[in-house]
Amino acid sequence: MSDPQRRSIDERVRAWMRDGWEEDDERFGALALEIFGFQFEHCLPYRRFCQAREARPDSLGDWREIPAVPAGAFKEVALRSFPSERTRKTFRTSGTSGARRGELHLDTLDLYEASLLPPIRRFLFPELAEGQRCRILVMASSPDEAPDSSLSHMFGCMLAELGTPDSGFSLQPVGLLQAAQEPIALCGTALACAHLLDSISPLQLPRGSRVMETGGFKGRRREIDRHTLYASIEEKLGVPAARIVNQYGMTELGSQFYDSVLREPDRARRKLAPPWARVRLVDPHSGREALPGEPGIITIHDLANTGSIAAIQTADLGRANRDGGFEVLGRQPGAEERGCSIAADLMLGA
Amino acid sequence: MTSADGIRAARERLTAVGSGLRARPRARTVDTFAALLDAWRRPDSRWQQRLVEALPAATGFEPQTVREGLARGLEHWTGDALREVVANELGAIPGEAEGFAQTSLLLAGSIPMPTLTSLMAPLLLHSPVLAKSASRDPVTPCLFAECLREIDPELGAAIEVVRFASGDAATRKAFLDSDCVVATGSDETVAEIRQHVRASARLVTHGHRMSIAVVGPEHAEATALDVALWDQLGCLSPVAAYCETRHAEAFAEALATALKKLERRLPRGGLPTSAAAAIRRERDEAEMRHAAGLDVSIRGDRALRWTVIREADTLWRPAPLYRFVRVHPIDSREHLLQALEPVASHLAGISSELPEHDLPLPGAPRICKPGSLQTPPLAWHHDGQPLLAPLAR
Repeated sequence: MSDPQRRSIDERVRAWMRDGWEEDDERFGALALEIFGFQFEHCLPYRRFCQAREARPDSLGDWREIPAVPAGAFKEVALRSFPSERTRKTFRTSGTSGARRGELHLDTLDLYEASLLPPIRRFLFPELAEGQRCRILVMASSPDEAPDSSLSHMFGCMLAELGTPDSGFSLQPVGLLQAAQEPIALCGTALACAHLLDSISPLQLPRGSRVMETGGFKGRRREIDRHTLYASIEEKLGVPAARIVNQYGMTELGSQFYDSVLREPDRARRKLAPPWARVRLVDPHSGREALPGEPGIITIHDLANTGSIAAIQTADLGRANRDGGFEVLGRQPGAEERGCSIAADLMLGA
Repeated sequence: MTSADGIRAARERLTAVGSGLRARPRARTVDTFAALLDAWRRPDSRWQQRLVEALPAATGFEPQTVREGLARGLEHWTGDALREVVANELGAIPGEAEGFAQTSLLLAGSIPMPTLTSLMAPLLLHSPVLAKSASRDPVTPCLFAECLREIDPELGAAIEVVRFASGDAATRKAFLDSDCVVATGSDETVAEIRQHVRASARLVTHGHRMSIAVVGPEHAEATALDVALWDQLGCLSPVAAYCETRHAEAFAEALATALKKLERRLPRGGLPTSAAAAIRRERDEAEMRHAAGLDVSIRGDRALRWTVIREADTLWRPAPLYRFVRVHPIDSREHLLQALEPVASHLAGISSELPEHDLPLPGAPRICKPGSLQTPPLAWHHDGQPLLAPLAR
């Protein structure tokens, strides 16, 4: 990275991540507008996208006015705010063969990796003291096996930073789980969890164990709701729902969002954002902020995304929680109740 | 809501009328349904009027859309057309074609036309019908049953309409415990139903399908009508239009103008939040492609009532429905066939002036003139399947 402005921005965002969990609206707003100015200048498609909305760095006074790019655009447009020859890493969204895959291009992994760990520590391992580790079993491919998977990369960082020596990746962890004597953090996609639960006889994981699951069943023939999945985890692994954490994240973002249940066991389950990321729920009918409790498009402003685009409009609907944070309602709640042409998206592999 | 016990009681009532039904001469039954269709299709039909009054609240359609959709859809569904379908389909079956002792019918969607034919078909084969109404249209099956009881009480006693939540496993089990089950739904829904149907039972399924238009600028108004009817929610609603590259932009402009104009006569109905999100997302993605230098144009109103996106390519992208159309440029017939390859087997209909032999596609979609996609003949083979033959023992 040679651009001095970018270096300066990255240093300040990283400093915030090092500072701890400090909410600071003013700091967020100032950095968000500065990053917008930088990305407006360095990412031509984004600049044109913003210009069509009459949004320019000198015309915006509030970070909430910064145009958000739809996550699907990463499938068709290379959205990078640095010269393409400086690309050091490209993460790709998952997808069946032939389907278009979204790409996140990075010229440095420093900020990306720095953004991953604080939310993991805070929401998945809230009781671990500095320097303490936990046995982590990950039901996913390792970063070596799946170098373009941001999820594998995230798990790799988690293992390196927080895992004990006997932690690791295992797509078939049944034997390891049966033999476990110490608390375990079992991590994987919701689909991997469902497959594990199909193949395992009920057992009791050591007290203090937890499960972290992420992703949905989109595009898969199999679909189970989260309530059923958690009931099954409790029945087969002996881990209660109160110790199961869902992670909401996406390839296009550095920062991820976790359920609050381990951190705040006495309060309602909801997703919480790190201080350097903000979530807005946008009413798709009006394009304005959704009323509290009403569904809206989950729109994320992630300051860790300095090399691509910071403001991302996800494909999911969500709802703001009265206690702060938000819940994810999914892509198309109630979609099955529409007309007989509804499966078009699935048929098209979109 | 009907309970599992309620389903069993309904089954007993249907069993009681079954033997009498099977002894009926078929011609009498055909006459009844011919009379029913003629009663429904008359411009002053009180059945149509009741649908126009009741469907909007249940489905979200505007009354004008229901009125026009019914008038057009029923126009050619005459008693004589029904007699022809019966003669053609059942005449080809050796002996007296008979249906199963009972047929369980899982209705889906919010458009009344397929509900009418789905309810009629088993009864034409003298198979009593246990019908679960769709959550979005609890009106049509009840009105059909009421009309049937009025015209022909014996046949009217051979239909029971029930409602239960799809998650109610006990009631679903009782409902599917039949020797013939007809279901409409996604691949996942159908696969799930298959698991609960007796191995020896007949299972007739209708998957989700969609339609397209292969047209020129002169067909913009007709295409807009095909899109606007039933708010583009039917499998015969075009989700994409293919147009010669040199005319694609002009067609997109004309289609946008026609949709805007049509909005005054046939206003779009309620828009679910998930659909609004999908429309906004697809518009924004198209804008981003345009910003990246691709030759894409986007037309649409602020209230998301209609959208026309003229793409630069023939890639398939999501179809949010509710009057959202993509226009794809094509250079030749070969180019068109290549573009349709990924979805060819899912096509229900194509509106086009091209002769059928120019569009040799698997699944044999219905090919018709622009503007008539939503008026399929009674004999239309939905999913490539005849109306009656799959229900015969």
